[in-house]
Amino acid sequence: MTTEAKTPLLERIPYQAILLGACAAIAAALLLGVDNATREPIAQRKMEDLQQSLAQVVPDDLHDNNMVAKPLLLTGTDGKEVKVYQGTKAGNVTALVWETVGFGYAGEIRTIIALDPEGKILGTRVLSHKETPGLGDKIEAAKDDWITKFTGLSLGNPPEDQWKVKKDGGQFDQFSGATITPRAVVKSLHAALQFFAAHKAEMLEVKP
Amino acid sequence: MSLLISSPHTHSGKSVHSTMLLVMVALAPATIFGLYLFGLPAISLFLITILGCVLAEAMALKIMGKPVGKYLSDGSAILTGWLLAMSLPPTAPWWIGLLGAFLAIIIGKQVFGGIGQNLFNPAMVARVALLISFPLEMTTWVTVDGVSGATTLGHIRTETGQGHTLSSFTDSLPSVSDMGLGMIGGSMGETSAVLLLLGGLFLLWKRIITWHIPVSLLGTLLLLAGVMHAINPNVYPSVEVHLLAGATLLGAFFIATDLVTSPVSATGQLIFGAGCGLLVYVIRTWAGYPEGMAFAVLLMNAVTPLIDHYFRPRIYGRDRKGEPLNYASGENK
Amino acid sequence: MSDYKRIAKDGLWDNNVVFAQGLALCPVLAVTSSATNGLGMGLASTAVLVMSNLLVSLIRQWVSPAVRIPVYIVLIATLVTLVDMALNAWVHELYKVLGLFIALIVVNCAILGRAESFASKNSPIPAVFDGLMMGLGFTLALVILGGVREVLGSGTLFASASLLLGKAFSFMELTIIPDYKGFLLMILPPGGFMALGFLLAGKRILDKRADVARERKAKAAVTPLTAGGAA
Repeated sequence: MTTEAKTPLLERIPYQAILLGACAAIAAALLLGVDNATREPIAQRKMEDLQQSLAQVVPDDLHDNNMVAKPLLLTGTDGKEVKVYQGTKAGNVTALVWETVGFGYAGEIRTIIALDPEGKILGTRVLSHKETPGLGDKIEAAKDDWITKFTGLSLGNPPEDQWKVKKDGGQFDQFSGATITPRAVVKSLHAALQFFAAHKAEMLEVKP
Repeated sequence: MSLLISSPHTHSGKSVHSTMLLVMVALAPATIFGLYLFGLPAISLFLITILGCVLAEAMALKIMGKPVGKYLSDGSAILTGWLLAMSLPPTAPWWIGLLGAFLAIIIGKQVFGGIGQNLFNPAMVARVALLISFPLEMTTWVTVDGVSGATTLGHIRTETGQGHTLSSFTDSLPSVSDMGLGMIGGSMGETSAVLLLLGGLFLLWKRIITWHIPVSLLGTLLLLAGVMHAINPNVYPSVEVHLLAGATLLGAFFIATDLVTSPVSATGQLIFGAGCGLLVYVIRTWAGYPEGMAFAVLLMNAVTPLIDHYFRPRIYGRDRKGEPLNYASGENK
Repeated sequence: MSDYKRIAKDGLWDNNVVFAQGLALCPVLAVTSSATNGLGMGLASTAVLVMSNLLVSLIRQWVSPAVRIPVYIVLIATLVTLVDMALNAWVHELYKVLGLFIALIVVNCAILGRAESFASKNSPIPAVFDGLMMGLGFTLALVILGGVREVLGSGTLFASASLLLGKAFSFMELTIIPDYKGFLLMILPPGGFMALGFLLAGKRILDKRADVARERKAKAAVTPLTAGGAA
C-alpha cells in the first residue's frame, strides 16, 4: 500500500486540479452554448430597440423602408465610424438618422438626431446619459419638453453664433442650476448639423 | 468638565462659553453690516438659521439623554448657526436656513458625539450639502442695490469661461474700495473685508486663535494668485480680487480656525492653512465652482487627524521625540 | 425555535445581509436612489441567490475545501452571465429594467458569503430556503433604504414601479410630498451613506430595546423561584 491511497480523495492535489478544471470547462461549455443560442435573438432585440428609437424621431408616414436594414457607414470627425440610417419613401431619401455624442457633467450624453434632406431637424432624443437626477436629466423627453424645441431648426436657423445656450450668448435655454448639460447637448447637435453639411452628398445618395 | 491628561496645568481662564462669546463679538461688526446691506430677508434668514441650530441641538441632546441646558448654554450651537447664516446667500428662502441648521447640527456635529468630537466644520458641512442639493437657491445672489446678479468671483468665472480676457471686462468688476468696504454682492457675512479683518485681529488679540492658520492660508492663496496673475493677467484675476472678493477673510479668520477641526500644533496649523489656501485657489481657478472656501476647509478637516499624528505638540517636560528631559546629565540639546 | 424559523429570522432581520452583515454595500448604495430600483435589485439578487445556494449545496460533497472559493466564484459568475444572456434574449422587456442590476450581482459578495457559510454545509432544501430568506431580507433592506432616499430626495415613493412590475402595479406609485423641490443630496451617493448610517443606528436601537425587554421578562419569570428559595 502506498501512502497516497490513505490520503482522502478530496485532499489529493490531482483531484483538486481536475475538479477546478472540470468546473471551468463545464462553465465555458455552458457559456458557449447559451451564447450561441442567444446571439441571434439578442441581435434581433437590439434591432427592435433601435427601430423604436428611430420611430421616436422619424414619423412612420415619412418612410416606407426598413431604416435599420442598410445603414450607411461614414467616418466621423473623431475618426470613428458613424452609422447613418436612411429613411426613404418611393425611392427618395426623406430622413437621415444617426447618433451624436456630447460630453456632459458626468460623461457621455448619447443623442439620436433625425434630419430631413434639407438639413432641418425632424426630431432629436437623448438615448442615454448619466447627468444629475433632478437637474441635468431635463434633457430627457419624459422629464421636460426642452429637447423637442430643436425640431425644425437647422444649421443656419438660428444663425451660427446663436447655436449656444443663453449663458454663452446663444438662444437656447439652459436649466436653472445646470448649464453644462444643455451646453453639451447643444454642442453635439450643432456638430451633427455640421457633419451633415460636410457629408450631404454621400448621405442623400440612395443605396441600392 | 474635560479630563486632565497630564499635569501640571494652569487655567487659561477661558471656558467654551466665553470663547464662543468672544467669537460672536468679533463677528458682530461684519454681521451687522451684512444685515444692514441686505435688509429684512437677511435678518429673518439669520434668525431662522440660529434658532434652527438651537432647536436641532436641543432635540439631539434630548434624544441622546444628555443634559440639554448645560450643553445648549455653551453657545456653540448659536455660533454654528451664525457662521452658517453668514455663508448663505442673503436672499435664500427660509427653509434653506432651517434645513441647513439641522444638517449642520445633526449630520455635522451630533452624530460624531457632540461638541469637540466633530471631524468636520458643521457650518461648512451644511453649506456644502445645501450647495450640492439646491444649486439654484444657493447661487442666486443680489447686489447691494437688491438687483439679482452674480458675485464678483462668479462673474469672472463666467466671463473667462467663455474665453473673454480679464482686461475686456474690468469695468464691470467692483472697485477695490467697494470690495474692501463690502459694497458688493455675496454671502451675508463675507462682503466687508475691512470689518472681517477687524474681527480677526480682535480674535488674535484676545488669543482665541493664533496667527498660524490665517497667515499661512492668506499667504499661500495670495502668493499663488500673484504668481499666476504675473504669468497671464488676462486669465488669472489679481491678488486684490482673491483677497477681497468671496469668502477669503471670513474663511481665514473664522472658519478654518475652528478649534475643534484644525490641528493642534503650530507646524500642523501652518500646513493646514497652506493646504486650505492652495485648495481655495485651485477650486476657484480650475474646478466647477467659482468659490471654494467651504470645500477647501472640509477637505483639510479630513486631513487634520493625519496632520495631528505627524506634528504633535511637545509634551510638557519632554523633548520633541517624547523622551523625558534630562538636564542633569546635560545630554539634551 | 425550529430550524426553518431560525433561518427565516436570520435572513430577514438578525443576520440581515445589509443591516447586520454590512455586505454588498457597493450595489446597495449604487442602486437605492429609489424604492423601485431597490426592489428590482433585491428580487434579481434573490433569484440568483436561491439558484446559487441550490447548486452549491448539490455539489458540496465533491468540492475540496482547498479549492472551494474558486469553484464557487466560477459557478456564480457563470450563473449570472447565463441569466443575463437568457433574459436579454427571451424576456427582453424585463431585461431592459433589470439588466443594469444583473451585471452588478456578480460583485455582490452576499452571494459568495451564503455559498461559503451556509449552502456548502447544508442539504439542498434548507440551502434554498436560506437563499430565499437572505434574498428577501436583502430586498427588504434595499426597499427601505431606497424608499427613505426617494421620499427625502424626490418626494415620491415607488416612482415608475409599473415599468418594473407591470401596469397593474401603477397604484404603488405615490407622490408623498407634492411640489417638492427635491433634496438632491439624498439621491447622490453621500445621501446613501447618511441614510444607511441612520438606518443601522435605528436597527441597533430596536435590537437593544428587544434585549432589554427580553431580560426583564426573564427576570420576572425567575424572581418567584429565587424568592421562594431564599425563604
